[in-house]
Amino acid sequence: MSANTNAEEHHQGLRNPPREVVLRIRRRDRQDGPARWEEFALPYRPNLNIISCLMEIRKNPVTRDGQRTTPPVWEMNCLEQVCGICTMVINGRARQSCSALVDNLDPHSPITLEPMSKFPNVRDLVVDRSEMFDHLKRVKAWIEIDGSYDLGPGPRMSQEDVAERYAYSRCMTCGCCLEACPQYGDGNYIGPQAIAQVRLMNMHPSGKMSRDDRLSAITGDDGITNCGNAQNCVRACPMSLPLTKAIYEENRETVLHGLFGWLRK
Amino acid sequence: MAVRLSSTFVFRKLHQLTGILPLGVFLLEHFYTNSKAMTGAADFNNAVRDLQSIPYVIFVEIGGIFLPLIYHAVYGLFITWEMRPNNVAYPYPRNWFYTIQRVTGIILFFFITFHVLNFRFGLIPGLNELSVADHPNQAFDIVSREFANWAIFAVYVVGITATVWHLANGLWLFAVDWGIVIGERAQRMAGYACIAVGLLLLAVGLNAQVAFIRPGGLLGLIGLAS
Repeated sequence: MSANTNAEEHHQGLRNPPREVVLRIRRRDRQDGPARWEEFALPYRPNLNIISCLMEIRKNPVTRDGQRTTPPVWEMNCLEQVCGICTMVINGRARQSCSALVDNLDPHSPITLEPMSKFPNVRDLVVDRSEMFDHLKRVKAWIEIDGSYDLGPGPRMSQEDVAERYAYSRCMTCGCCLEACPQYGDGNYIGPQAIAQVRLMNMHPSGKMSRDDRLSAITGDDGITNCGNAQNCVRACPMSLPLTKAIYEENRETVLHGLFGWLRK
Repeated sequence: MAVRLSSTFVFRKLHQLTGILPLGVFLLEHFYTNSKAMTGAADFNNAVRDLQSIPYVIFVEIGGIFLPLIYHAVYGLFITWEMRPNNVAYPYPRNWFYTIQRVTGIILFFFITFHVLNFRFGLIPGLNELSVADHPNQAFDIVSREFANWAIFAVYVVGITATVWHLANGLWLFAVDWGIVIGERAQRMAGYACIAVGLLLLAVGLNAQVAFIRPGGLLGLIGLAS
């Protein structure tokens, strides 16, 4: 379960609030340019989140030691932890900056903000996450329903399958699981995000027809066998996807239909 | 339609399999033979002689031990090379197990190389130049002479502990990697079972080690050996 959806986060400020909140931000002006740290301070107020801090800094981008600088760049969209775009590494851990409340982050010590390390850093806190979308294309994370004629209604699904598939469908492609994975990086491993979508599509009665195509996509050189079973992904996932279950279900499918497939020929 | 498998997929599956079959099974046999030392030198030497009298022993040894061992060890180093440990930011038990599995793997690479050269082949000058396998009548004496050296004894305590850890966690990894144990609760249960197997193997392994310098091993020290 993720900590940042707990109801207890919504309280009325701290008992001993600090005077100011200090943010240490990892900055980079352009892709492949040198990175540096900059420290900013802003007056504390209850119920700040990281995005409201960044917006406050943007109004007057002066570092803590009085140097004028450029406003830090980040991405944001939904502001309610369903789009995933504002994901960054906050105090060492990947999470959404919209749902990271300052009051829960110990505002008495500096809060560090870094871009995710597993994706190309475009600028400041912005990363290029297109490899996750490339993976979705490779695993055919869709169900073929288009034909030259009406295919009619699809087969029925059991309620258990619907519930299990719903859990996988919550993925917002934020990248927390990949950032936390000790195996993901440099194109070594396709990662839990794509494998969970393989599970989602393979569980579907119509999607199952492309099962072997999807299994072929995750039995490649960067495939499912590169999982190291550290299980950080399922802990880091803000949407509580059963990512490890997806991986082990697909382990079974790749063993049965891949490794032992020739026994049925 | 068929599933296309990459060479990496096949190599990884082979790596996972060799860890259990034959290497894990061989470790059980090894501890069984070692435990013969509890009842004295003659019993252990006879056990070594019996093993050497296995028909086609050279093929059994090469095909059942050396080739899978070298494959598992060398490919394991390749896998270890890819790790990006992040235990400080994500300090969960399974994440620690991930790192420890790789650290014990590296320890085992050096420990088993030393152990095989030292006892199986007797190729470490200044330490032991007699092959245990080729001199069954001196097998117990060769080992107990070595273990009298506290540094060597300590190396073996570390080596046996790392081996048992690597196998016990490896059993769990095999069960999940081959899609046998899938669900969270089943994995927790399997984890407890592997801890139990690991503790039992550790006790047997260390007891047999002590048996080479104290009659009856650890059980002998507390007066429980028959």
